[in-house]
Amino acid sequence: MRMGKKTGLRTVSRRMFLQKTGAVAGTLGLAPAIGAPFVSRALADTKTLKIIQWSHFVPAYDTWIDGFVHEWGKKNGIDATIDHIPHLELPARAAAEVSARAGHDIFGFNGSGGPHLFEKSTMDMTPLVEELEKKYGKVSKIGQQVAYDTTTKKWVAFPDYYIDFPVLYRKDLWDEIGMKPDTWDDVRKGGAKLKAKGHPVGIGLGHSVDPNNSYNSMLWSYGASYCDDTGKKVTLDSKETLEVVKFVKALYTEAETPEVLSWDDSSNNRFLASGRGSMIHNPISAYRTIQKSNPALADKIFVLKTPAGPVRRLAAGAPNSYIIWDFAKNKEAATAFLKDYCAHWKDAFIAATGYNHPLFPNLVPKPMPIFSDDPTSHPSDKLKVLETADDWCVVFGYPGPASPAADEVANNFIIPDMMAKAATGKMTPEEAVKWATQEVEGIYKKWAGRT
Amino acid sequence: MTAIAEPRRRAVARRPRFLLDRTEFMGPMFIAPAVLYVFALVGLPFLLALYYSVSAYSIFDPSYRFVGLKNLYDVFESDIFRHALWNTLMFTIGSQAIGLLLGKIGAMLLMKEFPGRGLARALVILPWAVPISLATLAWKWMFDSLYSVINWTLVAAGLVDVANQPQWLGQQDLAFAAVMTVQAWRLFPFGVIIFLAGYASVPKDVLDAATVDGAGFWRRNYQIIMPIIAPIVVIALIFGTVFTFTDLSVVYLLTMGGPMNSTQVLGSLAFQVGILSGDVAHGAMICLFMFPFLLVAVIVMLRALRRREI
Repeated sequence: MRMGKKTGLRTVSRRMFLQKTGAVAGTLGLAPAIGAPFVSRALADTKTLKIIQWSHFVPAYDTWIDGFVHEWGKKNGIDATIDHIPHLELPARAAAEVSARAGHDIFGFNGSGGPHLFEKSTMDMTPLVEELEKKYGKVSKIGQQVAYDTTTKKWVAFPDYYIDFPVLYRKDLWDEIGMKPDTWDDVRKGGAKLKAKGHPVGIGLGHSVDPNNSYNSMLWSYGASYCDDTGKKVTLDSKETLEVVKFVKALYTEAETPEVLSWDDSSNNRFLASGRGSMIHNPISAYRTIQKSNPALADKIFVLKTPAGPVRRLAAGAPNSYIIWDFAKNKEAATAFLKDYCAHWKDAFIAATGYNHPLFPNLVPKPMPIFSDDPTSHPSDKLKVLETADDWCVVFGYPGPASPAADEVANNFIIPDMMAKAATGKMTPEEAVKWATQEVEGIYKKWAGRT
Repeated sequence: MTAIAEPRRRAVARRPRFLLDRTEFMGPMFIAPAVLYVFALVGLPFLLALYYSVSAYSIFDPSYRFVGLKNLYDVFESDIFRHALWNTLMFTIGSQAIGLLLGKIGAMLLMKEFPGRGLARALVILPWAVPISLATLAWKWMFDSLYSVINWTLVAAGLVDVANQPQWLGQQDLAFAAVMTVQAWRLFPFGVIIFLAGYASVPKDVLDAATVDGAGFWRRNYQIIMPIIAPIVVIALIFGTVFTFTDLSVVYLLTMGGPMNSTQVLGSLAFQVGILSGDVAHGAMICLFMFPFLLVAVIVMLRALRRREI
C-alpha cells in the first residue's frame, strides 16, 4: 500500500507498467466485442450506397451528380454518398477494391482499363440494360463496344457515355489561308502554312491519354489498326500503318513544334488558350475553359468532326461506364439508382454542357439541347456537328471489341511512341512499325490464353 | 537459514509473472512488434510478389496458374523493360551522386556562421518536407512547354531564342536529366542533414592539429573528415539508393515515362503493367528485378563500410 501511494516515475517497475498498460489495452481491445451487438444492429438499420467516379473535367457536372445522389438518397431513405478521384487514379483504386473485395457499390470507369478487365468481379448487368433498352432504345454501336462482352454475350457494365474527339480550330486563322481542317491531309497542309505564320497545330506526342486517342484515330482513318475484328490477331504491320506513320512524321515536321513531345492532357488546351495554336484534336472541354477565360478567343474557335483519312473518318472516344461489384453490399439500391439516374440522363447531359454523349438513342433525342442551341456559343449552333458523333466514334480495340489487351496497348503508349520515334527521327518509319508490332504482339500473345 | 531461504526463492521464480523481469524473454518480446510489422509490410508483399511472378494471375482472371519462368522470358523480350532497367540504374546513380554532392556543399556552407543561418537550415529541409505531388507540380510548371520560367529566363538573358527553346520534358535527354534533377533536389536535404551530423562528430582538436601541420582545405576534407564520417555517409547512400531505385512518383507525375519511354523506370513500368493494365503477374516480375540489384548494392556498401571500420 505504501509503495502504491508513491507515484513518482522511479517507483514504477516494469512489471507494474505492463500490468497497467495491459489492463488499459485489454479494455480498449474488448470494447468493440462488448459493444458489437449494439453497433451491428445500428449498422444494419442504416442502408448505404457508395459510388465512386472520376472528377469530371466539367465541374458543373460533378455539382449536378452530387446533388442528384444526395436527393436520391434522401428520397429513398438511403445514406447515398459519391466520391470523386482523378481519372488516372481509377484503375489503381478499382484494383485495390477488387483485391480487398470491399469499397464502393458502384464504380464509374473512365477511359481504358475498365469493365472488360474487371468483369469477373462485377455483377451481370444484362437484366438492367435490357430493361433500359426497352425504354430508351437499343444501345449504340460504340455503347456495345464500351460495355458488352461479345464472348460471354453479357453486359458487363451500364454504358453511361463517351467523350468524343472532334477538331477544335481557329476559324479566323484557317479562313485566312482559305482552308479548314476537314481531313488529316488538310491538317498537315494548312498546318504548315499556319506554322509559318506563327500558329502551328498541336497534337500531343507524349505519354498521356489524348495522344492515344488522336493517333489511334489516325490509324483507323488510314485503314490501319492494331488488331482485327475478332480482337485476337495483331494486324499492325501493314502498308496502311506505314503510310500513317510517314504522315505523322510529315505533320510533326511541317505543322508542329517539338513542344508536343512533352505535352500532358491539359497542355493542348493551354496551347489553344494562349492564342498561338491554330488547331487541336480534343473534346470540347478546351473550348469550354476558353469560353470562361477568354470569351473573345472562344468566339473564334469552331468545332469540326474528327478529320477524315483516305479510308474513313473515325476517332477514339473515351468510354465511361458504371459497374456494380459482385461484392457490393447494396446491389438492389445500386441497380435502382442506375435506373433513376438513366431517367434523369437529359439533365446530366445539360449539366455536362454536352461533354457526355449518350449511349442509349432516346435519352437525348435530336435536336439535342446544347448542341442545337448553345446560348453561350456564337453562333449558337456551333456545336451541332457533335450530334453526329455516334457515326465517327469508336473505342480502343476497334475493329475488334474492347479488351484488356487493347487497353494495355493504350496504357503502354505504344501507338503514340511509334509515331514519336518516327517523327523525331529516332527510327525510320519502317523500324518504328516493326518495333510497335513486336510490342503489341507481345501483349496480345500474353493475354491470348487468359481472356 | 539458507535451507529455508532457497526454496522461497525458487517458489517466486516459478511464478509466471517473473518472466516479465527476465531480459532474455522481454528483449524478444519488445522487438517482436517491429519484426512482425516489417514481416507484414515488407516480407509478405515480397513473398506475394514471388508467388505472383511465376503465375498467370491478372485482375481479369484472379485464379492462380503456375507458369514457371515464362513471365521472366516475356519481360526480357520487351524492349521497354530493358530500357526501363537501364534507366533505373542511371536514375539512381545520377540522382545519388548529385544529391550527395549538393548535400556536402550545402552542409559545408551551413556550418559557417552567418546571419539567418537557422532560417537557411530550416529552408533547406523544405524539398524533403513538401509532399512530392505538390513539389512535382511546381517543377512541372517550371519545365512547361509554354510557360517555363527557366526558358523565359534563358530567353530574357539572350542565351536561347524563342523558336529553339529547350523542351525539358519533350526531348529525351533533357527529360531524363529533368527527372534526375527533381529526384536529386528531393534527396539533397537528407544529404545536408547527414553531412551536418557527420561534421559535428569530427573532433575539433584533430582538425586544428591538421591545420597547424599545414593541411589545406582539400587534405582536411578528404584525408581527415571524409574517413571519419564515411560510415554515416554510407548509411545515407544505402537509404537514398533504396528509395530512388524503388521510386516511381517523380517519373509518374512528371512524364509518365515519356517521351518514348526515355524516362521509364522499373517502378513506373511495373505500375503501368501490373495495376493500370491489370497484368499483376508481369508487374510483379518487373518489380522483382529491383531485388537482386538492391541486394548486391547494399552488400557491397556494407562490406566496404565494415572493411573501413576494421
